[in-house]
Amino acid sequence: MLLEVKNLTIPTFDQKCVIVNDVSFDVREGSIHAIIGPNGSGKSTLAYSIMGLSNYKPFQGKIYFDGIDITDMSITERSKMGITLAWQEPARIEGLSVKKYVSLGIKDKSNLGEKVTEALEIVNLPSKKYVNRYIDNSLSGGERKRIELAAVVAMKPRLIILDEPDSGLDVIITEDFMNIFNKIKKLNMTILLITHREEIGMVADYGTLIWHGDVLITDLFPYVMLRYCKKAGLKEFCKRTLYKEGKPCFPEDYIDRIFNEEEPFE
Amino acid sequence: MSKEDYPEDILNSLEDYNIDIRDFLPGHGGGAKLLLDFNRIKGIEQYEGIILRGKEIPNGIVADVIIKEGTKIDEPVHLCFGVNKETGVQEIFPRIIAEDNTDVKVQAHCSFPNANGLIHKMYGHFYIGKNCNFTYTETHYHGENSGALVAPVGYMYVGENSIFENVFNLTKGTPGKVKIMLDIYAMENSVIRSNVKAFGKNKNDSVRIRDAIYLEGQNASSVLKMKAAAKDGGEVLMYGITEGNAPYCNGHVECSEIVLGKGSICRARPFIRATDPTSSVSHEASLGRFPQKWLDEIMAKGLTEEEATEILIEAMLGEE
Ligand SMILES: Nc1ncnc2c1ncn2[C@@H]1O[C@H](COP(=O)(O)OP(=O)(O)OP(=O)(O)O)[C@@H](O)[C@H]1O
Ligand SMILES: [Mg+2]
Repeated sequence: MLLEVKNLTIPTFDQKCVIVNDVSFDVREGSIHAIIGPNGSGKSTLAYSIMGLSNYKPFQGKIYFDGIDITDMSITERSKMGITLAWQEPARIEGLSVKKYVSLGIKDKSNLGEKVTEALEIVNLPSKKYVNRYIDNSLSGGERKRIELAAVVAMKPRLIILDEPDSGLDVIITEDFMNIFNKIKKLNMTILLITHREEIGMVADYGTLIWHGDVLITDLFPYVMLRYCKKAGLKEFCKRTLYKEGKPCFPEDYIDRIFNEEEPFE
Repeated sequence: MSKEDYPEDILNSLEDYNIDIRDFLPGHGGGAKLLLDFNRIKGIEQYEGIILRGKEIPNGIVADVIIKEGTKIDEPVHLCFGVNKETGVQEIFPRIIAEDNTDVKVQAHCSFPNANGLIHKMYGHFYIGKNCNFTYTETHYHGENSGALVAPVGYMYVGENSIFENVFNLTKGTPGKVKIMLDIYAMENSVIRSNVKAFGKNKNDSVRIRDAIYLEGQNASSVLKMKAAAKDGGEVLMYGITEGNAPYCNGHVECSEIVLGKGSICRARPFIRATDPTSSVSHEASLGRFPQKWLDEIMAKGLTEEEATEILIEAMLGEE
């Protein structure tokens, strides 16, 4: 296992209540692992805690990366080990050029220009048009998020946590995103993918459903999605959207049966 | 003019800004030029459409730059106020007139690489006519000993429909004692952009900048950005003033200052005033450290907090 999260409990910054409650799941090396769940269920909190942000220290539990206990490591130590995070809303910083930003995490600075160009091309941004721009408000939301993706891919990390890479992007872009994921996957990076969009989630091999701070299931992604739909009472939606490579993931009568059963997974 | 005719230490002194003064010596590169060595006029080069005149006075010079009506030039007018002595007094009286329909840039390089008690004062008057596009850039280097006392004062009148861009950079080396006062008067439909950047690096550095924009003409607009950092006991104080005194004028003041190390002080005083009910003036100020999220985002790319801070300072104070 590349990442093991064991009984993680994360309190609010003021320590008054718990956001993520006794959560455990594993992420396999080389997989795309989706985290799904409704707004406010604790997905971003979990992501920040895995990254090691100082305001999201777990109250109990352990995080292992490649077998090493990283629970007490700083964000810098974790990123040096190969963990990185692309934020849901990446910051806009005046005066910081795209070239500089994308090259931040590139350890070997030789042929830097080429490496930056390569990274921008992975996220389908023409390098010529963007390298000399700044990551300030002049970029559109979608452009900024792609540049974030380019910057994390350029690091060649082992684990990328993507917090809603698709949020704020046009549905038409979905196709383009699938293409980007597939390119990243070929680079042997493991992806922890937080998303609300089931069609984006369908690129995932595995998934974890988080509900009000609890993990309800970790399994192959379609099963996780099925459980999510059941929890939300969305049978028709489930039948319509759970497709992989053009084929339905489950026969309709199977879905009917699951929905009729009482809490089949607990 | 050959490169040997000018002090080597001044020629090299703006390297950190990626500026090579050799490119601006008379006879090298295009554009009009006026070059001082302390209080002597060392070189002067005329250019079509521009009148450049310099007159030596006991402690400095009076310099006139007149840009004739309709002149549009890409190559900047270059003014170099260099002093390689440690002490002394240099007083400059520049009078810059851009006549109507002109499009020019003026670059002033104020370099005092060995300053140790040196005093530089400037009393500048700028008159920008109608329909002009005028950029004034002043880049300062005061050596590494915090040994300069620099006090420029400027009055700038910007005529109807003109765009005036003011850039002031004092981010390399140690500033010493710096006190700058700037008043910009903006007439109808004019657009003012003023960018001021300074970096105080030790307890002998004290930088005070008061940059005021008066929007006096209908529809005049302005953005005043003041950015500073202070470390190891340095002090920076910025007053960003904007007054909206005409119908539909629009002004914004932004001060961002970063404080590093014990004893360093940054102060920002955005001062805004609106006397016309259709005008709009706003300000924002942020002081202290960089937002945690910015630091986190950079640290998540394998950098330490110190490295991340350095990158952010460079971005904030670097050339755009
Ligand atoms: N200091 C606090 N006090 C109380 N609740 C808090 C505090 N800080 C965060 N929360 C709550 O923690 C929950 C988890 O937020 P988080 O951002 O992790 O959710 P999310 O699953 O990423 O949601 P979204 O899908 O909207 O991005 C939210 O309901 C939020 O309101
Ligand atoms: Mg979130």
